[in-house]
Amino acid sequence: MPKLTLDDLKKLREKARRTTVLREGGDFRAKVTVHMGTCGIAAGARTIMNTFMTEIEEKDIRDVLLTNSGCAGLCSKEPMITVELQGQAPVKYIELTPEKAKDIFDKHVLNGQIVQDYALGIGSEKTDVS
Amino acid sequence: MMVNIVIDGKKLEVEESTTILQAAQQLDINIPSLCYHPVLEPYAACRVCVVEVLVKGKTDVVTSCNNKVQEGMEIQTASERALRARKLNVEMLMARAPAAEPLKEIAKDLGIEKTRFEIEDPDEKCILCGLCVRACQDVVGAEAISFVERGKNRFVSPPYGEPSEACIGCTACAYFCPTDCITYEDIKGRKVIHSELHLGPETAIRVPIHQAVPMVPFIDEETCIHFKTGECKICAQVCPKDAVDHDQQDEILDLEVGSVILATGYKQFDASRIAPYGYGHLDNVLNGLEFERLVNASGPTGGKVKCANGEEPKAVGIVHCVGSRDENYNEYCSRVCCMYSLKFAHLLNEKTDAVVYDFYIDMRCFGKGYEEFYHRLLEEGTKFIRGRVSEITEVPLTPEEEGRLIIRVEDTLLGALRRIPVDMVILATGLEPSVDHNKIAKTFNISCTQDTFFLERHPKLAPASTFSDGIFLAGCCQSPKDIPDTVGQAGAAAAEALALADKGTFELEPITAVIDEDLCSGCQMCVNLCPFTAITYNKEKGISEINDALCKGCGTCVAACPSSASHQKHYRDEQIFAEIEGMLIE
Amino acid sequence: MEEQTSEKTYRIHLMVCAGTGCVSNNSFAVKDALKEEIKKQGLENEVLVVTTGCNGFCERGPLLVVEPGKIFYQQLTIKDIPHLVEEHFLKGRPVEKLMYSPPEDKTPIPVLNDIAFFKGQVLIALRNRGLIDPEKIDEYIARDGYTGMAKALTEMTAEEVLEEVKQSGLRGRGGGGFPTGLKWEFVRRASTNNGGIKYIVCNGDEGDPGAFMDRSLLEADPHSVIEGMVIGAKAIGAQQGIVYVRNEYPLALKRLNIALDAAREYGLLGENILDSGFDFDIKVTRGAGAFVCGEETALLASIEGRLGEPRPRPPFPAEKGLWGQPTCVNNVETWANIPVIINRGADWYHSIGTETSKGTKVFSLVGKINNTGLVEVPMGISLKEIVYDIGGGIPGGKEFKAVQTGGPSGGCIPKEKIDLPIDYESLSEAGSMMGSGGMVVMDEETCMVDVARYFLSFTQDESCGKCTPCREGTKEMLNILTKITEGKGTEEDLTLLLELAQSIKDSALCGLGNTAPNPVLTTLKYFREEYEAHIKDKKCPAHVCRELNTYTIDEVACVNVGKGCDMCRRNCASDAIVGEKGKAHTVIQDKCIKCGVCYDVCRFGAVKVD
Repeated sequence: MPKLTLDDLKKLREKARRTTVLREGGDFRAKVTVHMGTCGIAAGARTIMNTFMTEIEEKDIRDVLLTNSGCAGLCSKEPMITVELQGQAPVKYIELTPEKAKDIFDKHVLNGQIVQDYALGIGSEKTDVS
Repeated sequence: MMVNIVIDGKKLEVEESTTILQAAQQLDINIPSLCYHPVLEPYAACRVCVVEVLVKGKTDVVTSCNNKVQEGMEIQTASERALRARKLNVEMLMARAPAAEPLKEIAKDLGIEKTRFEIEDPDEKCILCGLCVRACQDVVGAEAISFVERGKNRFVSPPYGEPSEACIGCTACAYFCPTDCITYEDIKGRKVIHSELHLGPETAIRVPIHQAVPMVPFIDEETCIHFKTGECKICAQVCPKDAVDHDQQDEILDLEVGSVILATGYKQFDASRIAPYGYGHLDNVLNGLEFERLVNASGPTGGKVKCANGEEPKAVGIVHCVGSRDENYNEYCSRVCCMYSLKFAHLLNEKTDAVVYDFYIDMRCFGKGYEEFYHRLLEEGTKFIRGRVSEITEVPLTPEEEGRLIIRVEDTLLGALRRIPVDMVILATGLEPSVDHNKIAKTFNISCTQDTFFLERHPKLAPASTFSDGIFLAGCCQSPKDIPDTVGQAGAAAAEALALADKGTFELEPITAVIDEDLCSGCQMCVNLCPFTAITYNKEKGISEINDALCKGCGTCVAACPSSASHQKHYRDEQIFAEIEGMLIE
Repeated sequence: MEEQTSEKTYRIHLMVCAGTGCVSNNSFAVKDALKEEIKKQGLENEVLVVTTGCNGFCERGPLLVVEPGKIFYQQLTIKDIPHLVEEHFLKGRPVEKLMYSPPEDKTPIPVLNDIAFFKGQVLIALRNRGLIDPEKIDEYIARDGYTGMAKALTEMTAEEVLEEVKQSGLRGRGGGGFPTGLKWEFVRRASTNNGGIKYIVCNGDEGDPGAFMDRSLLEADPHSVIEGMVIGAKAIGAQQGIVYVRNEYPLALKRLNIALDAAREYGLLGENILDSGFDFDIKVTRGAGAFVCGEETALLASIEGRLGEPRPRPPFPAEKGLWGQPTCVNNVETWANIPVIINRGADWYHSIGTETSKGTKVFSLVGKINNTGLVEVPMGISLKEIVYDIGGGIPGGKEFKAVQTGGPSGGCIPKEKIDLPIDYESLSEAGSMMGSGGMVVMDEETCMVDVARYFLSFTQDESCGKCTPCREGTKEMLNILTKITEGKGTEEDLTLLLELAQSIKDSALCGLGNTAPNPVLTTLKYFREEYEAHIKDKKCPAHVCRELNTYTIDEVACVNVGKGCDMCRRNCASDAIVGEKGKAHTVIQDKCIKCGVCYDVCRFGAVKVD
């Protein structure tokens, strides 16, 4: 390994930051939640998850948070995801395929256009009884 | 720079590099201390020299041995706070080392009668001041002792409590110890302290022997701390005349002289070569020179004859012909042993009550008065036993032999094997050519006899000259001889050298060799062959040249020269051929 | 198992704590189980397992923090792993039963930052703890690592760096609290002897009982210490750095060496660092674990290979230190603060803390406290906040009695002073000291005489023995304290003890001896009545000093409640209890060896101790 110059150090920092940014709890532009209850996994949620992973990696996107959660309740409409852009209401998409997922990633996640065709609805159910 | 301070109300102006302790000394104010020593760096460990200081508006208790004065410093050497610490520290040390004398004195001055703390060992003297350790490390540079363990278990020891290789037996630790808890015997066990001929203590700076000429002390590089560790040099510090020079080196001088007298002496036969005699491992078997030193009034015992255990011997055996007249060692007679053995026997008779046995092959009392001396010894009661001693042993066969040396010998007059128990044996060791005898012979281009003593030009007509002109011999280098003979020969050699000098001229050999420059090929064969080193090679000219003064005209080079460049004056080939022809005409 | 790389993108990072506390609780096995299970579930391309340095909450190890989201799992066992992986990482349902619940309120708190232990902390020296893998230099760089150094080397002059540190108000974190900038200036101004070089030394010889700040810092973020040292070297003009770490810290040593190698490989150490023309390198010296080697002159002697013993100062190491050259010795934590000060500026740092004590201080919070661990708090925070808010109070509903700060050199601060702000001056006024940051909490069951005796036995053991007051004095003080705890103490002993303490404080050679009487002086000051109870009444109010206890059996309770269970008699080693099953038991005082076993085994509270 050749010795670093000041520029190299800066570049290295930027590169390494992409990994650690996940731990910083910083601002993310969008959060994609893949519902991965038993029903979801059975319906192919893993494939959807992998699709998003690949998309994020290939397009080198660093400000999108990909996460998973349990069954959303609509087991018959699985695989499902929730896309939540910062400051906007979450949008649920149902009965996804990898192609649909790619479409949603490009249009909604990256460009903010909700893909009405696959959407279930906007907003989330109340989680708190109070 | 000078600074102004106040000590116990007294004003003082001192150099700013002065420590508080030194400043107080200037005012004759005594601050007690235990670990301080002027030649060592302050250690500040005993904490007895604490004083209270006021500097820049802050008071503090500090040790006076290492803290330096500062401008405006006010020092109280016996303030309540300083005294509290000092007294308690002394009191605690008293519990550790109740037997330490300097501590008792300080305690007395401070009004401490007895310690309130528990005494573990009433005989303990070590106050852990570290002076011995620092002396060994900083002054001597040997680092043979150190503190071991820590805290209350701390003590001074060589590594692992074993005798240390690093210890050079200098006893500096004992010298620095203020409480005498390192004793001389302690160290003696760790390291043999060198002695003059192994008979007594010896220091690194000394006069070789009391009859030495010149009577000037020298530094023995073998034992001097400085030459072992590079440190110390205390002698140079204390010498008021600045006479000590550690950098002095052996010098090689080039001198031009007309003649040389070789008086390179002899070497005493190493008696340990004769294993059955036990020399070297039996304590009370001495060689001739050792006994000579022992019996000398300026010797290690003041002339008293003592065995290794300090007692006077009850019986002494003197063994003649040790290393002489023996085909295993030297076939020649060393000439002096019989007479010095008789002298020893006489001294023993005179100084001790010991029975003296004298084991001889032949009694060789040559010359004036010697035979008479022998008869006197017979009258004194010395027991002469004719026979060669076969063994000296300490293995007893009977209770009387217990703890003594037993001499086994065949008494050829009685025709019986005898065992004679004695307390001391003196081996009459013979004389041998000195160690570098051959080197000297080569340097001066002289010959040696078969027994390697220098060969004289003629045993009867020229006993002080050699075959090389201007080189003379005197003393034992030529052959073993006693003092009168040596003095006689030395006089003769000196006279011959003087005769040469007085004449002012030197007669050359008429018949020498010459080298024809045109014919010489510079092969240098002659240079190596010349027995008188008369031929040198001239690099510039590329030829060999003969020094007329050295050439003896032996003709070796003439015969050997492959290009016939070397001729003998008056005996050139043409001349010889002409002579032959002349003879043939008749 | 195939190594995962941080080059790839993962959606979840599992930060497994691998500080010594968690490692001894088997965190490496947990980590391996995690990796294996993740692989089994086919998640190895989605979930990255990262080993981090000490997270701080050592009480609850092994710890795991899930990023993003900082979901905090604690006290994990290998058995928990399959469930955890499936539920949380595969199905996205965090597992509540593995989360932390505060002792008083049993509701699990999922997110790390919501836990009281972490909430009150301000992380400067420990800024990277739990966030990076200490063995990966890239992760340190990602968190602004080496930018402070780059700034100092390429944009600032040595004077500017020095000025910045001076302005920040940073003081030595090793115990003395000497202003760091001032020390640096002394060394900078000092001239070298015989053409030598200047040295800087990182003092990692942490030896206080119950203190583990330096160890954790070196384990969690070795690069911050290295970076701090390079910056210091620039300011001082030093060419060689030495980190002195005790050999009992194998993990710290390992990670430090990995970090040094990585930094060297990147050219962040060595010749011409970052093309700035500045040369500096760091060596590691392992200490053999003598407490006194934490004292700077003893530490330097130890580095030189000599006996680890202090020498008189002056001359200070700033003038004549290592190999007789000007040397700057700072503590691990001090060095770790430097990069942040340069990066974020002196003014920012200056704004944290009190008038005289700036910034934060790392404490290791141990003893009778719910949340044992490593905490970093701003100077000036009250003792109360540390003990009750961060520390979570005293376990078992016991009453807080005192806190011992500064290790064996410090003192005990009583509960009356619980509002004491933590800074150098307040602690020292209270008779204690900041020290390197050990904080031992004591509850009502602690005997203060016994505490003083314990610390004295430590200092006595660790005294190098060079100077009289420390060698003999600590021994004598310990003897007196032992006498008192055995009920053999007299009034005169107390006077002598005080006299000894004051005299040793005044006249010992080094810091170890000077401060050794502090535990005695503070306990005498604040808990004199306990000493007197031991001496006059021959009683230990906390029932710790066994020789002073009397065990009796309440016959009524024994028969009525315990039905004469006979447990005490059967366990008594000296046959001092008589009685038979179903009947009242009694203690024969002459035979009782006061071992306290009867008291411990009686489940009915019938055995009384007085």
